[in-house]
Amino acid sequence: ATHLTNGDKDLRDYSEALEMWSTFQAKTHSLSLSLSSQLRLILTPSQSTKLSGAFSTGKRLNIKKIIPYIASSYKRDKIWMRRSIPSKRAYQILLCVDDSRSMDEAGSSSGRLALESLVMVSRALTMLEVGQVGVVGFGTDVFIAHDLTAPLFASHDAGARVLQHFTFRQDGTDMVRLLRRTLDQLRDARLLAHGGGEDLWQLALVLSDGLVQSKDHARLRPLLREAMEQRVMVVFIVMDDASGGKKGHSVLELKEARFGADGMPVIHRYLDSFPFPYYLIVHHLEDLPGALAALLRTWFSEVAV
Amino acid sequence: MDQPPAGEPAAQVKVTFTTTETDIQLPESRRQLLVPADIRRYGLSRILNSESMLDTGAIPFDFLVNGSFLRTSLDDYLSSNGLSVESNITLQYVRSLIPPVYEASF
Ligand SMILES: [Mg+2]
Repeated sequence: ATHLTNGDKDLRDYSEALEMWSTFQAKTHSLSLSLSSQLRLILTPSQSTKLSGAFSTGKRLNIKKIIPYIASSYKRDKIWMRRSIPSKRAYQILLCVDDSRSMDEAGSSSGRLALESLVMVSRALTMLEVGQVGVVGFGTDVFIAHDLTAPLFASHDAGARVLQHFTFRQDGTDMVRLLRRTLDQLRDARLLAHGGGEDLWQLALVLSDGLVQSKDHARLRPLLREAMEQRVMVVFIVMDDASGGKKGHSVLELKEARFGADGMPVIHRYLDSFPFPYYLIVHHLEDLPGALAALLRTWFSEVAV
Repeated sequence: MDQPPAGEPAAQVKVTFTTTETDIQLPESRRQLLVPADIRRYGLSRILNSESMLDTGAIPFDFLVNGSFLRTSLDDYLSSNGLSVESNITLQYVRSLIPPVYEASF
């Protein structure tokens, strides 16, 4: 593949990126449809489960209104509750793709799996038309591959221009910087959105091999708390390719060694200190729609009450 | 190399252990490991000998990386070969004929 330089960022050759987009789109089309229909149920509730208010007709009696009703000689008859109509939800969704070298190291196809997932998820979100979708890449630095406020990238051309940014040549995986920049970007985007009474929800989906320097795990925790306070849902999707019999290469099995003060090595499972409260491990692309939908459903049932 | 500030854990690099010696093979699930990037032969030997790995007590090991014996820290190996902590380094371990020498930094 040839690489053109755009500023200080190497871009993948356009025709190669276009070919990738077409191939991945064809390969993931049915998965995009499946994800889109599952997300429609979760992201766009048409009926509220809550009963409230005071109306002259309705679904259930509002007990608090009964005494005044009798006392008013049955004149104050707004004694019924109705299902409240949920306000229309709008979404700002950032897809954050790991562009570091570990994604494309010998024996790793995490990079390819991440790009296939990016195509699949972004197309599902485009079909849903629930709001804005942006794409950022990260490694040692964070860059914007598709601006949140730009039109959805539905065409092959627009998709290819997004894929061009991912070459997996960054010599580090700075998850702390990614999270900081993501929270700042979403905070600004919320201020710009201020839509007409719409209920704005923000999601960041991180597509990565999950290899973050362990010393960063502790530095990520306060940022994840900040995300929670800012009502940003961060989902970490670990690309853990299991095709081609890659036994023993799974991040699930990965251990880390440290030396204690006595110089003795101590060995832990790497994921034990992984700080993301919501993460999925994807071995096959086909797993992603169901797993992502299940996780979002859980999250909404916890926070959207 | 620069010492990290006190209390700050070192950077890590992912290694894959292999060997051709049949009696000291690691099970597949133990072959990949994140290790401190400033590690040297001595520290790697201690890890391999530890209970959670080969449980072999104190066998001195030597490590071949890309065909040559590792005589520096992994850090130094990476930087002199234009690699980064994003690389996955394959370390072939062999029983050493030279007893391990304690080095101030393992
Ligand atoms: Mg990486």
